[in-house]
Amino acid sequence: MTERLAPEALGRAGSPGAGQLHAGIRAMAPILLAYAPFALVVGASVAASTEPWAAWAGTWLVYGGAAHLALLDVLAHGGGWMAAAAVGLLVNARLTAYAAAMAPAWRSEPMWRRIAAAVMLTDAPWALARDRARNAPSYYFGAAITLFVAWPAMVTAGALIGSHISATPVTDLVTPLTLGAVVVPQLRQRPVAAAMAAGGVTAAVTWQADTGTALLLAGSVGAACGVLAERAR
Amino acid sequence: MNVLLAVLVVGLGSLLFRAVPLVGAHRLPVRLAEAAGFAGLAVIAAVTVRSVLHHQDGSIAAAPLVGALAVGVGLLIAFRGRSVPVAVGVGLASYLLVVAALSSLR
Repeated sequence: MTERLAPEALGRAGSPGAGQLHAGIRAMAPILLAYAPFALVVGASVAASTEPWAAWAGTWLVYGGAAHLALLDVLAHGGGWMAAAAVGLLVNARLTAYAAAMAPAWRSEPMWRRIAAAVMLTDAPWALARDRARNAPSYYFGAAITLFVAWPAMVTAGALIGSHISATPVTDLVTPLTLGAVVVPQLRQRPVAAAMAAGGVTAAVTWQADTGTALLLAGSVGAACGVLAERAR
Repeated sequence: MNVLLAVLVVGLGSLLFRAVPLVGAHRLPVRLAEAAGFAGLAVIAAVTVRSVLHHQDGSIAAAPLVGALAVGVGLLIAFRGRSVPVAVGVGLASYLLVVAALSSLR
């Protein structure tokens, strides 16, 4: 697997694709610093689980900090596996929207590259690559592989030392700040501004609802508003 | 066994969420892909807003308000073209400054 994902396979050395691959790595590297506190919190939750090895396996299998944390939280509070799975699936349902949005740029890619892209798909690589029409797949791979390698390492560190660190309240703001900062320059496009404003307002109205339901609603309302704004242009 | 089952189900479901649209990429209408892009951005906006509204800090009153101010400053910096680490750093520094100022007033 590692051999198949080598830079030469993802973008020929010296080609524009290789340059984009490295650009994606460079773009993701500083974001890892911002993801670290969240990863440590997820790791501490893994260590506190009644089945730490199974919980740790979720780092790759679930591959989404919010969904992973949510399912472990349901189980820690006495919920059954079906309730925990339902919550985790609701939180990760947004990945369908990310994958669908990527589809046009990936049509001509070989199947193995599309599957590899899907396995590593999550918020930050998608948001980083979204605005790149040319060489988006190579750029995406650079960002996605970087996070796919670093995230489990950071969660594992959190599982090992998580009980020795106490998160300060300010660390709660790192993830929203990071994700927001990645996408906020796109607000200059009116349909994007409409979609994001609608998503933000929906989140404010539904702030007491569970995370999965609230995000599904925000995504649906945001998509409708974005499409309407696009047609109005 | 509960944890393993939950992780396996969410893992399999999440893989399907990720893979089905990409594996069938040539069949997906462009308009649907555009709408999905808007949905994804709306979800990221929602994640940001929810994190601020659920923000808790025992050392200050109105923690969500201070969180909103800090995130707003950070995002404004990003909107004006600064890099993500700079925007995050300025946002976090704003939060810590406001918390220190509020604490000194008490």
